[in-house]
Amino acid sequence: MSTTTELLAELDTEAAPAGLLDEGAKREIRRAALTAVCVPGYQVPFGSREMPVARGWGSGGLQVTLAVIGEDDTVKVIDQGDDAGVNATNLRRMIAGSTGCAESADTRDATVVQTRHRVPEEAMTAEHVLVYQVPVPEPLRGVQKSVAECGRMHAEADYSAMWVSLYEDLVRNGMITRTTGYPVLVAGRYVMATTPIPRWDVPRLHHSEQLNLFGAGREKRIYAVPPHTEVTPLAFDDVPFEVEHAPGARCRLCGSDDVFLVEAGTRGGYLCSDTEWCARVRAGDADVDAHRDRAPLRLLPDPARRARATAAAGTPRPHRVRPPRAEDAPEWALRVDGLGKVFGPLAGGDANATVTGTGPEHATAISPATGAIVAAWDVSFDVAPGEALGVIGESGSGKSTVLACIIGDELATAGEVRLAEVGGGRTEVLALPASARRLLRVDTMAVVHQNPAVGLDLRVSAGGNIAERLTAAGWRGYHDIRRRAAELLDRVEIPLSRMDDAVRTFSGGMRQRVQIAKALATDPPVVLLDEPTTGLDASVAAGVLDLLRGVLAERDVAAVVVSHDFSVIEALTDRTVVMQLGRVVEAGLTDQLFHDPHHPYSQRLVAAARR
Amino acid sequence: MNQPVLSIRDLRKSFTLHTIDGRTVNSLRGVDLDVHAGEHVALAGASGAGKSSLLRCVHRTYLPDSGSVRLRTDVGEPVELTGLDDRSMARLRGRQFGYVSQFLSAPPRTGPLQVVASAARRRGLDQAAATEAATEALRRLNLEKALWDVDCSLLSGGERQRVNLAAGTVCPPRLLLLDEPFSALDPANRAAAVELVASLAGDGVAVLAVFHDLDAIRRLASWVVLLADGRIAREGAAATMVEELG
Repeated sequence: MSTTTELLAELDTEAAPAGLLDEGAKREIRRAALTAVCVPGYQVPFGSREMPVARGWGSGGLQVTLAVIGEDDTVKVIDQGDDAGVNATNLRRMIAGSTGCAESADTRDATVVQTRHRVPEEAMTAEHVLVYQVPVPEPLRGVQKSVAECGRMHAEADYSAMWVSLYEDLVRNGMITRTTGYPVLVAGRYVMATTPIPRWDVPRLHHSEQLNLFGAGREKRIYAVPPHTEVTPLAFDDVPFEVEHAPGARCRLCGSDDVFLVEAGTRGGYLCSDTEWCARVRAGDADVDAHRDRAPLRLLPDPARRARATAAAGTPRPHRVRPPRAEDAPEWALRVDGLGKVFGPLAGGDANATVTGTGPEHATAISPATGAIVAAWDVSFDVAPGEALGVIGESGSGKSTVLACIIGDELATAGEVRLAEVGGGRTEVLALPASARRLLRVDTMAVVHQNPAVGLDLRVSAGGNIAERLTAAGWRGYHDIRRRAAELLDRVEIPLSRMDDAVRTFSGGMRQRVQIAKALATDPPVVLLDEPTTGLDASVAAGVLDLLRGVLAERDVAAVVVSHDFSVIEALTDRTVVMQLGRVVEAGLTDQLFHDPHHPYSQRLVAAARR
Repeated sequence: MNQPVLSIRDLRKSFTLHTIDGRTVNSLRGVDLDVHAGEHVALAGASGAGKSSLLRCVHRTYLPDSGSVRLRTDVGEPVELTGLDDRSMARLRGRQFGYVSQFLSAPPRTGPLQVVASAARRRGLDQAAATEAATEALRRLNLEKALWDVDCSLLSGGERQRVNLAAGTVCPPRLLLLDEPFSALDPANRAAAVELVASLAGDGVAVLAVFHDLDAIRRLASWVVLLADGRIAREGAAATMVEELG
């Protein structure tokens, strides 16, 4: 047994400090940091050993600092703007102690500054590396829980969900209330979280002199803003980005009013967040004039420029004008040729061999060769502008599968889809990459799903759901978006007083109306409706049906209406195809199919519809 | 006389009833017929003779088995309707056809003014002109103004028939198909309706009609075709045929 005193006596305090990070881990982190510098704003994953601090207490920043710092460096650590906090002091000692570098609380002496919450008020230079301790590196985390989906959104620069969250904040509060972690667009490409710094410091990232490295220990991500990189806070064109400011506030100690101030506890008033700066101002050791020039004073809040104050101002965005039809443009807007979808194994990879023995004449959709389900096969049709085509058949006949293949929710096994607006109708849409197909759904081919929860985000307001489609299509004017959303909601008879209510609070019929408004938001040339009134009770369904009839009649869209209900098909369409067991068994004018059906299945269907 | 507007040759139509036992019912067994602009051809015959089927085959509500139905539109060569693709047929219908059946087939929850105005829209008028034409047509058939925006399904049989007539004749189409258009009208309204149809001949509309009474034939038709068992039994000028039939 030995006592604690004996154990302490054995320690050699003069011995060379043991590195917290082995050289392998440092190389791994440096590699990640270099990648991050090469792709500004992109989150680079890395691996490293655990740090002797709790995760969430600066472990990410610590790893980056330990990997980039050398004996010749001087480290400064800020926690909440303060060098003297327990956490800052411990981290600084640990870094200096384990690497042999110098330590300082003076930014001018420091070469590596590890920070939580602040960029120093002192001017940063090319001599500085600023390391941020990041709690949550993913800017999309608040709007998208799925890590894979966040990755896809970054890859495709699909940031409409982020814009919707800004829109919702403005709608609810009349101004941006988000303080830390304000999203910025880095070098025109990646949206990045500026967590943990306040809005006040965000402009300091733009064309900065210093290298900024962000380390997130919990999620093992490093990202960077290299010197002289463009960093733009996300903000609508007509609602300027603002920094935090309380009118008349100044530091109780040094009197500064051009610094980031924090409330001074129970004694009232404000104090400098950056304690180093405050002390130096008081000591007369600060260039306050140069600092005032650097301060983001042009971004102070201005109630006159806020969303609610400027609602009436500005000219509305001109309505989308589609280019005139080319001479050689096809007559149709959407054309489907030989579309097929098989769920299950193909016989020797041969789809044709697999589907042999299925279809109406064999009374089965199950492949005798492999047991695969032939959900749709050899489905062909086209739709012209101003025309509505019905697809009718009982449940399981393959109607919805055909729609899913056209929009890209399912991968078609066979067939071709063309849109007149894409490559003049010569581009095979099914061969396009997923990202391009997703873009088509923004402004070329809109879908109204049977279940509004699929087409809408129920947590978001009615206007916000429409904003999602508009921002995806590149709209950046808050008031333009509001006006357009109001116009669409008015058209679908949603009272404007409900525009800012979450769709979750709407009835089924109202949700379906919002979904229709969203589908029409960008005036797409093709609209696909999948059982648009199924699941609504009779009187509500009738209202939605009347609305659809009206909006289709007044627009020059090509519509495909999938339904099992003859009354829906009859009310909306001019032509119809009848599907059974995955095949089109009959096509014709809608009234002809109703009065003179030829195929036995169509005759049964019509007989069943007569009540 | 110049070329006929509507020219029907050896038109045949049968129905195969798969839901019963696959039996075949013959409806038209080879019909030849011409209707010229401004001419009014009335179809007569016992029920089941194929009068309505003939109209529906022309309108393509029924798909003919064989034969030819040619429509001379205002431009170009006559169009063969039996083999015309569905999209072109739908467009042609909207612009060139008026079809007044015994029963009104209005979209649910729409009123007379809207029904008639959209018919005028399909024939090429803009919204304002279409509404004006619809107003005029409904007034001419004495439909009470209070009913103009009432859901058509709430109207009486006679009222619906007048809405139907107004929609079929507004902004007069090139070819008008009438299937017992006056059957539910009282004498006063009937007179106004007959007057309206009679005036269309002056506009150069070709009319093919089925009437359930000789009165209308006598008043309107210039040529009468008697159908029996899906074939033309006899035909002739209205004056002589009416006497024979009466």
